[in-house]
Amino acid sequence: MRRVFSTDHKVIGKQFLFLGLAFLAVGGVMAMLIRWQLARPGQPVPIVGRLLFPGAGGVISPAAYTSLFTMHGTIMIFFAVTPILIGGFGNFCVPLLIGARDMAFPRLNMLSFWTMAAATATLTASFFVPLGAAQAGWTAYATLSTAIGAPGPGQTMWTVAIYLNGVSTIMGAVNYITTVVRLRAPGMDWFRLPLTVWGFFLTSILNALFVPVIAAAMALLFFDRVFGTQFFIAGTTMRAGGDPILYQHLFWLFGHPEVYILILPAWGIVSDLLSFFARKPAFGYRVTVWALIGVVVLSCVVYGHHMFTTGMSPLLGESFMLLTMIISVPTSLLFLNWLGTLWRGALRMTTPMLFCVGLVFTFGIGGLTGLYLADIVADQYLHDTYFVVGHFHLIMAAALLMASFAATYFWFPKMFGRMMSERLGKLHFWPTFLALNVVFIGQLAIGWAGMQRRLYDPSAYDFLKHLLPWNVWISRAAYVLGLSQLVFVWNFFASLRRGKPAPANPWEVGTLEWTVPSPPPHHNFEEIPTVVRGPHELGHPDARALGKDWLGQDEVLS
Amino acid sequence: MNAETSKSGTLGGFPKPPAMVRGEQSSPAPHAASRRLNGAVGMAVFIGACAMLFAALLFAYAVVRSQAASWPPPGTPPFPRGAAAVNGLLLIAAGFALRRARSRGPAWLAVGLGLAALFLLMQASLWGRLVADHLGPGTGALGDAFFALSAFHALHVLGGLVAIAVLLRKRVPGETRLRRLRLATVYMDFVAVVWLIIYVAVCLI
Repeated sequence: MRRVFSTDHKVIGKQFLFLGLAFLAVGGVMAMLIRWQLARPGQPVPIVGRLLFPGAGGVISPAAYTSLFTMHGTIMIFFAVTPILIGGFGNFCVPLLIGARDMAFPRLNMLSFWTMAAATATLTASFFVPLGAAQAGWTAYATLSTAIGAPGPGQTMWTVAIYLNGVSTIMGAVNYITTVVRLRAPGMDWFRLPLTVWGFFLTSILNALFVPVIAAAMALLFFDRVFGTQFFIAGTTMRAGGDPILYQHLFWLFGHPEVYILILPAWGIVSDLLSFFARKPAFGYRVTVWALIGVVVLSCVVYGHHMFTTGMSPLLGESFMLLTMIISVPTSLLFLNWLGTLWRGALRMTTPMLFCVGLVFTFGIGGLTGLYLADIVADQYLHDTYFVVGHFHLIMAAALLMASFAATYFWFPKMFGRMMSERLGKLHFWPTFLALNVVFIGQLAIGWAGMQRRLYDPSAYDFLKHLLPWNVWISRAAYVLGLSQLVFVWNFFASLRRGKPAPANPWEVGTLEWTVPSPPPHHNFEEIPTVVRGPHELGHPDARALGKDWLGQDEVLS
Repeated sequence: MNAETSKSGTLGGFPKPPAMVRGEQSSPAPHAASRRLNGAVGMAVFIGACAMLFAALLFAYAVVRSQAASWPPPGTPPFPRGAAAVNGLLLIAAGFALRRARSRGPAWLAVGLGLAALFLLMQASLWGRLVADHLGPGTGALGDAFFALSAFHALHVLGGLVAIAVLLRKRVPGETRLRRLRLATVYMDFVAVVWLIIYVAVCLI
């Protein structure tokens, strides 16, 4: 019982990690079902079809398909990436990396996990209610998501689940911010923080500011659905009413920062790991930090680029376009710093490093395609096509998948005291990396050719018929992507039981979590360390005398 | 390095605590003053998040209102401003009672709890009256806005109420108690201010 309702940040981090990985699997299976329908429209799903869709003889019905892509997006964003990266690694890493014994508010931390568990329970239960789970897309645009467009209880439960998810996230944000502000070990100045911590810290600021906005949207949507209010339903001359576009404003006011909420931890982790495995200091540490802060600030004022086609004032649209384009300045700095870190490094191509380099590649393509969508004129054509789907999957799915896997391979030894298999890790990386690029770059291509997203059967339209072979190949790559995750599952659980016992510092790096045994004892540090240098002192000339190439953050040279 | 870091220490708007206190506070027996700062930072972030929530709700209200041809919409019954104002005074009084409780002990804490609970009861009766007067949710834009905002606000008052009740019941050392009382007071002041804003925005203008 004490282990289940633990207040130890390491245990809570693992709970979040397992929850997130489980939902990643669910969301992944849904993605493959979606791909099946797109490649073989209206044919019964093999093997699991009759089990999942008994009423339709194994065929994915239009309603089930709509539910599938809605819940796939919802699960991946709110119930997979958020728990894995922010809940899991945020919890595990932040106190260890800053030299603290636990979070500032351990009980709030526990409450955050159990609120998330309640949210997942609500979401899971919504699959089994009459009319099925939510079907209004992960963005749940009104009026599709109001009682008019979605009469069943599934959408209401979806609203509640997202709200609870938000409450959990805000609790986490309060904790992370306070922990980083208050509990840093002596000597751990802001510019000695590992970039991973910067990522989690800035993410938490965005979470604290913008998750409440979607909470408000969910609350009003809930009132509209349950109490008959009309915030998101257009009024008449007789009855002043609301505005469906208002929902989009509230949603994207949160939704765009959310993109950065998810990617900032990934950027932080990658910036650290590239330096660790290139065996040299992170190139332009301070520039990276300021670039991250710049992205955070800019992310608050660009959300309108999701709404170019809602008939907004062209003047307003142009401002949003300009601001969006400006975001590419700090992100380019970030990107160049990664390349600078790799340049002439003594690269150690371990599995975490492979995933980091993979992230640099996929994020590069994902980021560049974002520029097309930020442009109003191009967006008029590309809006709601698979180009958008490919773009955000390259960033969200590819980059976050890469970062989550890199983080898992990297911190697994510290979390569980055992090493993961490097050989299986590489066997996991290559098919994952290649397949996901085929899938998402393929989506860019069919989007460019004009295929809209969320179509049940694109081959029903003459002008999209010629894209069916493309969809078949994208789907095949998606199955390869899905199946290669079995290698990861095997590696994870086998290493958990039979992995090589991990030394305290298997990667030979200097951040504080590697100064304690693997796994760390209950209160992390026997004695709170005093930090004397930054996190990336690799290839350090002073270390050569000690017979190694790195210096710990708390290592005092005599 | 030090000048540099003290400058950057205000990032995110939170003042950097003195280094000495910070070093001590993650030890097993945390320093009281540093604990207080932890609570203050946490509460500041939390209130910031709550403020964003109400800001978003008020933004939605503003959009609905700005799109109406006239306000209040034609056919809306007059709003009982007086009753809503009295409720607001109860909430402000609860904050003052909690302030007194700092120096005068748990009796005033119970008074604060009672006033907050009375606020919720009065709100509930106000809702009942509004529904009877055809100003409930789903009857028109004014009813919708007031109901959504006040219901949400009431939930947040309920949260504060639970915190005060826990404080009243639990036997905790004086220092910890005072620290928690301070945080509860700040929070109750915050919900009182939010009520004031809602009252002015929805009921008065």
